[in-house]
Amino acid sequence: MNGTIGEPALTSPADRPDAPVHAAESTGRSLWRQLMGSNTAWIFVVLLVLVAIFSAMKPGNFPTEFNIRAIATNASVLLIIAVGETFVIITAGIDLSVGYVLLFSGVAAAETMAAFGDPTNKGWDVILLGLLVALASGLAWGILNGFLIAKAKVPALIVTLGTLGMAWGLAEILSNGQDVRYIPRELATIGVGRFFAVPWLVILAAVVAIAGAILLNMTKFGRYTIGIGSNQEAARRAGINVERHLIKVYALSGLLAGLGGFLALAYFTTTTISGHANDNLNAIAAVVIGGTSLFGGVGTVIGTAIGVFIPAVLQSGFIIIGIQSFWQNVAVGAVLIGAVFVDQLRRRSRERR
Amino acid sequence: MRIRTVTMLGIALITVGACSGSAATTSPASASAAPASASAAPASASAAPASASAKNYKLTLIQGVKGDPFYVTMGCGAQAEATKEGATLNITGGDTWDATVQTPIVDSVTASKPDGVMIAPNDGKAMFAPLKAMNDAGVKVTLVDTGLDDLSFAQSFITSDNLGGGKLAATALAQLIGDKGTVAVISTNPGDSTVAARVKGFYDELTKNHPNITALPIQYDKDDPTVATTITTSTLAAHPDLIGIFATNVQTAEGVATGLRQATNTSVKTIAFDAGPKQITDLNSGLVQALIAQDPYTIGVDGVQQTILALNGQPTTKAIQTDLAIITKDNVNDPAMQKFLYKSACN
Repeated sequence: MNGTIGEPALTSPADRPDAPVHAAESTGRSLWRQLMGSNTAWIFVVLLVLVAIFSAMKPGNFPTEFNIRAIATNASVLLIIAVGETFVIITAGIDLSVGYVLLFSGVAAAETMAAFGDPTNKGWDVILLGLLVALASGLAWGILNGFLIAKAKVPALIVTLGTLGMAWGLAEILSNGQDVRYIPRELATIGVGRFFAVPWLVILAAVVAIAGAILLNMTKFGRYTIGIGSNQEAARRAGINVERHLIKVYALSGLLAGLGGFLALAYFTTTTISGHANDNLNAIAAVVIGGTSLFGGVGTVIGTAIGVFIPAVLQSGFIIIGIQSFWQNVAVGAVLIGAVFVDQLRRRSRERR
Repeated sequence: MRIRTVTMLGIALITVGACSGSAATTSPASASAAPASASAAPASASAAPASASAKNYKLTLIQGVKGDPFYVTMGCGAQAEATKEGATLNITGGDTWDATVQTPIVDSVTASKPDGVMIAPNDGKAMFAPLKAMNDAGVKVTLVDTGLDDLSFAQSFITSDNLGGGKLAATALAQLIGDKGTVAVISTNPGDSTVAARVKGFYDELTKNHPNITALPIQYDKDDPTVATTITTSTLAAHPDLIGIFATNVQTAEGVATGLRQATNTSVKTIAFDAGPKQITDLNSGLVQALIAQDPYTIGVDGVQQTILALNGQPTTKAIQTDLAIITKDNVNDPAMQKFLYKSACN
């Protein structure tokens, strides 16, 4: 177990890491007790309750294959960027630039693909090139974020607010303010196509989420992320290169935003330049609702996945039962505050122990 | 543990409360939908919606954005026509003009299985797939105000003659500024077919018939009045000789008026598309000189009419263009002009 973080001796009890990984190792708590003690389980109950209520109110409309598929597909891109955001928030950082890095990557990919001859009839090699451009763009923005945050020590909120604007502006410059409306036909078929009734978009989002969960819970990268989030100073003294790790975390967030941008391109078959204004807040809300603490050190990818679905289910359910959609904003805001409140209670109760 | 349990249950209850509590909202659209949903629960297991004898069609209007007086007025017209024809109407829309926001709304509306839907798509290309899926699910889709690049499955496309409207705006503005000078064009989004037509009409008319007028390149405000304000003040700063502005929709017009007020500029002549309550106030106070008003009420009425025709198996009119009018301080109180003035609430 080389490189794991020892009990921080110089910090207050409130900072003690409480990630499930550590708890299981040190106290041998049963899985059941862990689940009961975790925010994630409870927020899952909330999701189930919502699904049950909407299904009971509109059994022919809400729990249908079409609607489930629609909710899942529309949540896919958000889930992908929320996974990246999870890692960032676990380090007690924040990444506000995800929506516009997503947009920039999509625009860069679309312009690249459009530069190769016939707009709609492209081979997979061109599409692959587009994907690489999207990923590289996202990665570049992420590395820039990470570098400014970790090395130049500019607060994450400010850095990512800045890169948000820069990415947006550059996306508009690249595209001349006009949506790129010619996406290779084959790529569009991925956007709406399915693999045995499951949309490719959903499959890809699930793969990213599972990979993210494995990365967070079973690798050194994940442990370091959690450790840095709990107590950055202790992690540094334990020998972790905190700065290099933070750059990697923000790079990951950027990379996933790039992937999200490419998939959004496939789904909408256009670059949707006028959109993405709230992607960052939606991702952060999803992460926080899912039980990840804004103060760092605690978080799960499965929680983020649940956090993505709660607003999606709320929106779909409200529209289906015919309620004025303004209420959806109220409900999501209430759930968000409730989730953070519970996190605070947890931290305080841990202090008392 | 107990506090946490209670709080979690509380969250669930708040969200449930938000659901059920708001079922009693007084907005006519949701009030008519709420009882329908209560009784529809047992009936939802039954077969296809458009049974021959059922005149009580379930219709939904998906606005371009919520809260825009243009779409509110359209909703009023649609509601009036729906009530007349004995149909129930549900009205919904996104917070922002954004295809990524409208797509989940369209999907949810499709899942709610209405008989017909009138929609103003946020993007002519991005909204094609979800609307096609809606059409394939058996819902009659009518396009209002904005269209799609591919109109093949739409029952009807009802909009103002936007190209003509842009031309009208150019002529009116040219007259206001003495047929020479620098003018700016501020529009909403590149992907919006409606404003694109207005802009094209405007530029074409200027190029053809007004060689002494210099039109600056178009600027976009993403349908956000605050951005329009910034664009206005910056353009004024960059071009002190600016003499005219063309604002292509309600939100933009509101922002431009604020920008001009901020700059305490009284020499710039503004012509705006759309006649919302705020534009009328600005018209009366002299901040805006002329408004090109559409007839969203009629668009709403026509939208419902065409959809019901389609549901009854009768032929529909594939393309309908509604009237436009130039509103100035002189004619704003004429009875003939009243129907062109948008409302921010029905009645």
